[in-house]
Amino acid sequence: MIKITDLEKFYRTEEVETIALNKLSIEVKTGEFVAIMGPSGCGKSTLLNIIGLLDDPDGGSYIFNDTEVAHFNERKRADLRKHNIGFVFQSFNLIDELTVFENVELPLIYTGVAAADRVKRVEEVLDKMQIMHRRNHYPQQLSGGQQQRVAIARAVVNKPKLILADEPTGNLDSSNGNEVMELLTDLNEQGTTIVMVTHSEHDARYSHRIIRLLDGHTVMENIMI
Amino acid sequence: MNHGLNEVIMIRNYIKSAYRSLKKNTGFTAINIMGLALGLAACLLIVFYVIDELSYDRYNEKAGRIYRVNEDLKLGENKLQYAVCMAPLAQTLKNDFPEVENAVRLKKAGSIHIKKGTEKIREDYIGFADPSVFDVFTLPVLFGDVKTALVEPNSIVLTESMAKKYFGKTDVVGESLLFDDRETMKVTGVIKDIPQQSHFRFDFLVSMSSLADSRSPEWLRSEYNTYVLFRKGADPKKLEAAFPQLLRKYSGGQMQSELKKSYDEFEKGGSYFRLNLIPLTDIHLHSKMIGELSAAGTVEYIYILSGIALFILIIACINFMNLSTARSSNRAREVGVRKVLGSARKNLIAQFLTESILVTFAATLIAMAIVVLVLPGFNVLAGKELSISLQSLKWIVPMLLMVALVVGALAGSYPAFFLSAFQPVSVLKGSLSAGFKSSRLRSFLVVFQFSISIFLIIGTLVVYQQLNYIQTKNLGYNRNQVLVINNSFEIGNGDKVKLLKQQIAALPGIENATMSGYLPTSQWRNMGIYYKDAVPDQSRAIFPQVWRVDADYIKTLGMQLVQGRNFSKDMPTDTASLIINEAAAKFLGFKNPVNQTLYHSKDYQTHGEVSPYKIIGVVKDFHFNSMRETIAPMMMVLGEDWGRVSARVSTANINNTLDQVKKVWSGISPDIKIDYSFMDAEFDAIYRSEQQIGQIFIVFTSLAIIIACLGLFGLAAYAAEQRTKEIGIRKVLGASVSTIVNLLSKDFLKLVLLAILISSPIAWYSMHRWLQNYAYRINIGWWVFAAAGIAGIVVALLTISFQSIKAALANPVKSLRSE
Ligand SMILES: Nc1ncnc2c1ncn2[C@@H]1O[C@H](COP(=O)(O)OP(=O)(O)OP(=O)(O)O)[C@@H](O)[C@H]1O
Ligand SMILES: [Mg+2]
Repeated sequence: MIKITDLEKFYRTEEVETIALNKLSIEVKTGEFVAIMGPSGCGKSTLLNIIGLLDDPDGGSYIFNDTEVAHFNERKRADLRKHNIGFVFQSFNLIDELTVFENVELPLIYTGVAAADRVKRVEEVLDKMQIMHRRNHYPQQLSGGQQQRVAIARAVVNKPKLILADEPTGNLDSSNGNEVMELLTDLNEQGTTIVMVTHSEHDARYSHRIIRLLDGHTVMENIMI
Repeated sequence: MNHGLNEVIMIRNYIKSAYRSLKKNTGFTAINIMGLALGLAACLLIVFYVIDELSYDRYNEKAGRIYRVNEDLKLGENKLQYAVCMAPLAQTLKNDFPEVENAVRLKKAGSIHIKKGTEKIREDYIGFADPSVFDVFTLPVLFGDVKTALVEPNSIVLTESMAKKYFGKTDVVGESLLFDDRETMKVTGVIKDIPQQSHFRFDFLVSMSSLADSRSPEWLRSEYNTYVLFRKGADPKKLEAAFPQLLRKYSGGQMQSELKKSYDEFEKGGSYFRLNLIPLTDIHLHSKMIGELSAAGTVEYIYILSGIALFILIIACINFMNLSTARSSNRAREVGVRKVLGSARKNLIAQFLTESILVTFAATLIAMAIVVLVLPGFNVLAGKELSISLQSLKWIVPMLLMVALVVGALAGSYPAFFLSAFQPVSVLKGSLSAGFKSSRLRSFLVVFQFSISIFLIIGTLVVYQQLNYIQTKNLGYNRNQVLVINNSFEIGNGDKVKLLKQQIAALPGIENATMSGYLPTSQWRNMGIYYKDAVPDQSRAIFPQVWRVDADYIKTLGMQLVQGRNFSKDMPTDTASLIINEAAAKFLGFKNPVNQTLYHSKDYQTHGEVSPYKIIGVVKDFHFNSMRETIAPMMMVLGEDWGRVSARVSTANINNTLDQVKKVWSGISPDIKIDYSFMDAEFDAIYRSEQQIGQIFIVFTSLAIIIACLGLFGLAAYAAEQRTKEIGIRKVLGASVSTIVNLLSKDFLKLVLLAILISSPIAWYSMHRWLQNYAYRINIGWWVFAAAGIAGIVVALLTISFQSIKAALANPVKSLRSE
């Protein structure tokens, strides 16, 4: 599903040029559950953003579902993104002014799903994530674990083929964290490809394979059994 | 450490960190300061204008004790208000009433030619005055003796600049000037130029004793502007109450002998004449009577302009507060941190207040600079000669400092007290910012601002339309291509003027010419006394305008006869004929006016004799007064009035024709300079003050809107900034740029729409009221509201969308990173 070769990404500020990704090559197959690990600042989030078509690389090739997307413009990326990819963030990134229901509904609105259909599908995922009873609450009224479940609900409501999660348990205690990992595992078992950045070896053990990034270049892979 | 020193260090610390925080947000700070500075500057300009208008005649040290006597006259159907009174009144008041300290009469003298070397210069500002003028009014005398200067006949007092003009120096007492080639006037005094803010302007004061009529004992004729100076503490009401008795006493006898009627009978007939007082300082703005010494200002404009100034100030202040509070909510975290670190609440309050007041002071300084820069331009726009003097600085500076302090404190107090009261924990956790973002207060203020702006747009559109309507309305005559010789009366000989008219009419470039001082655009007016019955009944007298014109008049001015015929030179009976206007026909109640007869009485003092006049035609109504008044009944009689000669010029080669007209003039009157103008220019002059006010409205309305938009621009930027994270999330979830722009603009648009809803009815009502001042007026069309609304929306959208698009185009990764 994802084939990245010699990917490069630089950040230029006034004083320094940071090489966030240096000729990186990785591959992710459809249906895989991959964890990305590595020290802080090694480029994990950068990589995830590029995979998620939020950012464009400065060099190299990125083939997503047999299509070269490295040179895609913003509009094409956004189009591809909203139909295929769901995101889960460490800090949940729910919109404070919208209720749980409305937050989850948002991707459906942007992909143009009809209103009646939307209600059905949002209720379906909220049910699955067991937060149906909180549908009219605002994010501030929920615990961290509940908020992350809403975020996951929002990520999957469009039935994406790929879910990208950047430290999804980073802001959660261990029992809430485990709950989230179970959810992701379930989703993966139902066929969704998952790429997850994490600092926790414990969480990484839920995945099939760990990609270890060192300095935006060196890659080591562990295959989980 | 010493306590006082500690204090100083604290304050320095506040100013320093305020400066840094302002510098960090240069954009906000600039918008904030500029908006307020613009508002203050606009406000100041209007304040200057208004104060100038309000300060008329206040240069007189005794202004509070000076009143003018006015006369209300009702004769038959006509009610008239005069600013002039009878010749003996002033002296009588002085004699009979102890509370009257002094009284003075003024009388306009019209234009006079004064000889300077071989040149004859026309002077328009000449007046007769009693010697007491220097006691009542404050007219500082530079040379000459105040007490005696205006006692002897043929003495004149002139102003400093006239002394320089005619003699090249100011000490000219004892010199003399030749008036109209006839009278030698002895200069007995030189005064300072009369201030601009005076309801009379005279360059020359001639002793009243030079005017024989001033000694007339007549109480039935009013020609003198009469002013009374009361003793300190006297009650003008008491004098006013004594007026009826006074009139009965002095005019009763004359009435009996001249009108053959007692005062009581006169009043029983429904007529009266009454006297009343107006404070000197009210004259300029409030008095528009017959016989005023100068055209009055209009108090209504003062109200409107003051309103606009207030609006602009409010808009600017709201901006300032909105932006300050908006920005301060971004600093909730800073406050939290400072509090955790042990900053006391009062320090935080002082910090915010310092910052806010610093900004308002900066704005005030800039406002002053703007005023200094644009004042010359404003003077041109407003037709004034305003200047910033040391005198005015005395009140401007404290006033501005007050405004700066109050606005600064108000704007600063919200964040100061609100934010500083928070528990640091809740601020740090961020639970506060959600509520703060959608502040109701801020929405309310935006609605308020835009309501005012849209109100101003509607108001300006209506004013503009009305003025345009006046300019383009069919006046009932054709003012284009009409050359008017304004001073043919100066030739002083009817036959010569007739010759002038004939020779001009014969020129190839001239279509028609007419001789008459009565023109729609001139000030010459005359009222006649007519009765419908041959046996006159005073209570049924009518007083139409009666203009003496020649047979070429109607044709030359492009007027239209709707019934009957024009005067004809070949009909000897036409000297006893009338052409009346439609308004007169209506007033008289005649269905078929032609061939009806009216009876003319020479004047109301000799009631017995009347002469019949036959109506031969009806002229279509034409405007000869301001559009504020309905067209009054008027009649034309055939006669020779050599006040002016007017000619319709054909469009080809006007300059050549003009040269020929000048040649004709100098052939007939070599000594006197021709004074000519074009009628359309005269017409424009009449409405110049309205045009000016229209332009002032437009300028200040635009300013108000610009300031409001500046504020909206800042708020939109703030809102976008507040929502960067949300925008980022939405973009990650697939929102398009247009969706985001919509999202950000929608909230503001809702507010603007609400503002339109609120301001439209208010604007409609106010402008409807204003239009009632005009007898001839436009209807306010619905499109005015649509246009104002659309203008408001478009301007707001443009302002907001700049920020929204910027926010929508930003890379979401960046905004999500800044956790
Ligand atoms: N917008 C940016 N501008 C400049 N440098 C950036 C930017 N984004 C990332 N970097 C730099 O790129 C490198 C990789 O950053 P990235 O966020 O991908 O690290 P990370 O592996 O996700 O770290 P962490 O585990 O702390 O989240 C870092 O050195 C970072 O400082
Ligand atoms: Mg990261």
